[in-house]
Amino acid sequence: MKVSLRLGDTASAIGLRYLLDTYFDIMASVGACADSDADPATLYIVSPEELASRLDFYIPRRQRTVVAGPGSAMLDTTADESDIVERLQELLHTCEPAVSTVGADLSPREIEVLKLVVAGFINKEIAEQLNISFHTVLSHRKNISSKLGIKSVSGLSVYAMMNGYL
Amino acid sequence: MALINRETRLCDVISAHPDVVPVVNRFGITLGTGDLTVEAICREHSLDADFVLVILNTFINGEYFPERTLRSFSASAIIDYLIKTDGYYSQFQLPNIHRHFSLLMRSSADVTNNLTHLYRFYQVIERELLSYIDHDLKVWFPAIVALERGKAAECPAGDEQGSASVEEKLHDLINMFIQHLSGEYDLNLCYAVFTAIVALEKDLRQNYRIRNRILLPLSRQLVNQSRG
Repeated sequence: MKVSLRLGDTASAIGLRYLLDTYFDIMASVGACADSDADPATLYIVSPEELASRLDFYIPRRQRTVVAGPGSAMLDTTADESDIVERLQELLHTCEPAVSTVGADLSPREIEVLKLVVAGFINKEIAEQLNISFHTVLSHRKNISSKLGIKSVSGLSVYAMMNGYL
Repeated sequence: MALINRETRLCDVISAHPDVVPVVNRFGITLGTGDLTVEAICREHSLDADFVLVILNTFINGEYFPERTLRSFSASAIIDYLIKTDGYYSQFQLPNIHRHFSLLMRSSADVTNNLTHLYRFYQVIERELLSYIDHDLKVWFPAIVALERGKAAECPAGDEQGSASVEEKLHDLINMFIQHLSGEYDLNLCYAVFTAIVALEKDLRQNYRIRNRILLPLSRQLVNQSRG
């Protein structure tokens, strides 16, 4: 998760940067960047002035844009530290990129097999690459399909993409 | 529900199995059936009641598949029905899912969900199914009809693998919705898309049983007969 702080008030920006680093291990960038900085996983914390000056940039990203400032309903920079941390936690959770937790059920070996399957290797080649028997590959494939509920190679490719295996 | 017979009222069938509506529509029967029996409605629409009954029972009861009865019908009658189902997929069901899926994507601007991946997968399945339907409609079905009418001696072999592939992918897509969908999205639209895909999968499964287990052997039989 990336966070971009675009606040006119430097003290607030430094304070939020410190909290994000301390509580969430996130090193936020400070200051406006070029419009090309459009990482879909970035949370933008902006001042009302920044928002108003670049509506064309923030409106399409409104789900990931938070207006911060003194008394702001979205993120009140004058609130107690614990309240700000709690609010940041909610915001970060909302913007967390989706990763299926089911993927965690696959063993490391099954993930290796999955990657080779979606890369187009046939069972015999997978067995050679991983130095395991053909029947073990079949067993892994059966387990993968059973755990994920996906049998087709194209379905497995979509799953692999969704979970960052590609 | 017990097997439907000539005396069963169609309204009772639809009431117990609303998903049968698209199937009766293919025979030109629309809602507003009154309390007429299947036989009376078939007579009204000049339909072969035996054929309609077999199709309805096959659709409603997954275990029911009267191969011998189905093979007693002409290839043309079965093809006529399959053309209507293919038309229903390509003209109504697929565009309907496509439209709702697009709407769901637009209403779920939240980048944290993984609907985009499912949508792309759906588009792959849609293209594959349409291409499969296109081949049946333009090549395979006309060849079988020509064979049955004695206007041709050969007919290209029907493809079974393609239907299995579409079925498997649709099944995967349904499981992806059930097991792997994450993030925030419009719940009502998502339900609409999901139920439409489930309905398509069920319809296709029954359709492919008729295609692969009745029409395919029938076409081979016709080829053998024409070769003498």
